[in-house]
Amino acid sequence: MAERAFSAVRLPGFSTIATLVFVVLYLPIATLVVFSFNASNSMSSWGGLSLHWYREAWANEAVQEAAVRSLVLATLAAIISTAVATLAALGTTRQGRFRGRTTIYAIINQPLMLPEIVTAVALLIVFGAVRGATGYQGLGYLVLAHSAFCIPFAYLPIRARLEGMDRTLETAAADLYATPVQAFRRVTLPLLAPGIAAGAMLAFITSLDDVIITEFVKSAGQDTLPTYMLGQFRRTLTPEVNAISTALLALTLVLLTAFFLITRKRG
Amino acid sequence: MNRILLTAAVAALGTSAAAQELQLYNWGDYTSPEMIEKFEAETGIDVTITDYDSNDTALAKVRAGGHGFDLVVPSANYVQIWVEQGLIQELDLARLPNHANIATEWVDVAWDPGRTHTVPWQWGSTGVAVNTSAYSGDINTSDIFLDPPPELQGKINVVPEMNDIINLAIMHEGGEPCTEDLELLRRVRDLLMAAKPHWITMDYDSEAKLSANDVMAAATWNGPTMRARLNNPPVAYGYPREGYPMWMDSVALLTDAQNVDEAYQFMDFIMAPENAAMISNYARYGNGIAGSDAFMDEEMKTAPEIVIPEEHRAAGVFLPTCPASATEIYSQIWTELQG
Repeated sequence: MAERAFSAVRLPGFSTIATLVFVVLYLPIATLVVFSFNASNSMSSWGGLSLHWYREAWANEAVQEAAVRSLVLATLAAIISTAVATLAALGTTRQGRFRGRTTIYAIINQPLMLPEIVTAVALLIVFGAVRGATGYQGLGYLVLAHSAFCIPFAYLPIRARLEGMDRTLETAAADLYATPVQAFRRVTLPLLAPGIAAGAMLAFITSLDDVIITEFVKSAGQDTLPTYMLGQFRRTLTPEVNAISTALLALTLVLLTAFFLITRKRG
Repeated sequence: MNRILLTAAVAALGTSAAAQELQLYNWGDYTSPEMIEKFEAETGIDVTITDYDSNDTALAKVRAGGHGFDLVVPSANYVQIWVEQGLIQELDLARLPNHANIATEWVDVAWDPGRTHTVPWQWGSTGVAVNTSAYSGDINTSDIFLDPPPELQGKINVVPEMNDIINLAIMHEGGEPCTEDLELLRRVRDLLMAAKPHWITMDYDSEAKLSANDVMAAATWNGPTMRARLNNPPVAYGYPREGYPMWMDSVALLTDAQNVDEAYQFMDFIMAPENAAMISNYARYGNGIAGSDAFMDEEMKTAPEIVIPEEHRAAGVFLPTCPASATEIYSQIWTELQG
């Protein structure tokens, strides 16, 4: 009798370890969410169910401003990085194999490899010099920085989509006398759209969650939600931070679910 | 969508339209919004606050240049670094009539004699908190966490701040803060290692732990202890007679500030007792301005954690910035302690 194929699922203790891992991963987040509904001002002892801290956060002007700024920034960064990433993905998958392609992959994905603090310090120095020379203090620095580190997050799903696409469709379009531009607009782009949407969402979330680079690059009065929360740590935290975190978590979950639904549907 | 685009456009263009503005770069959650509103209403100056989370972040950003800030709030042990690097400027005291309101003990401070570069913001101390229902002995000693009585053993939280804890232990052993005396530091290490089994946690959140009776003692700051006492009355704050660290954050004017007149108005404003009290009522620490206690919340006026009793004042020590060679030894002890 032939031995059964190796399967991790049948190893002794598999379900115990799996359960443990899920508990370790999600229990802290569950605690955070639960205490965001705490009526008392403690993050560890329960004082009854209440939406008090959500109202508090909602009415807090600093939170409102930081939230709007975070959303504006994430939207701009997602648009710019997705546009760049789409062009990069087309360039690296539609030209056949060429010398230096692996190097280009590495360069595009560099923000994934480089420790964030290194990028942050480098940007601090460069933007410091630019600020000194131009006097410009606007949101442009953050938009540039966020767009740059969001590119790989947008690039990867778009490239995966392009590589999985049936190239004969593009060839067929060319055979039917479509110009290259028509073939791109009528065939490639519609097939690529789910990849672009997925990439844009990942880029949006990545920008929304960023702390370190933002903390170093932000100009005066440019706190985002995560840097605002970081600033709260000096004093005792209240469940207001839990409420803001839970709202951010909910937004991230919605986008990730959309990402999942879009990438699952095969065109 | 239109509103978002509009906000984006406004953000991108900057706020060049505002006639008078002030850029305050301060620790997060440290500035009373009511005090800022009052200042804006009185002066017509538009104040923008930007947060930082550590002295080092603030120093790095300002040193990089082009930051656009006017005022910064460094801790006492960092002030000299700011001065030496020429990042903050000497104050024109003639423009600060309220400078006279600084309480006598806060004028000739070690890091800024005569207050020529900084004006007071908030100050506090690191001491011990004890739940007096669990232990009724003397609490004004660092023995509480370094050589704990049997009633408190295994029920102590120690705040994981290297400088505060190591220097509490150094002063317990009769040394000076920042000492590099290896013989003494060996005793400090042995003392801490022997005490550690009696601690249950090394966490920042002393307030919640003391409030919920999760711990019966802590080495922690005065602010969290006061808040814990308001939740749980038997909690009391002790000032170790062997010596305890004090800290103060002060407001300084940056050398490349753009809004110097507005900055002077602000510094003078916060030295008026009623305004200094607004900062204290929000941040829950003392402020260094004489007469401000009259405007403080009732629970703060008499709080033994805020108003240091006369007999304990002398033991308070402002930690200087230790030389790198000393910090290196402390880091080794700290690593061993946390291992």
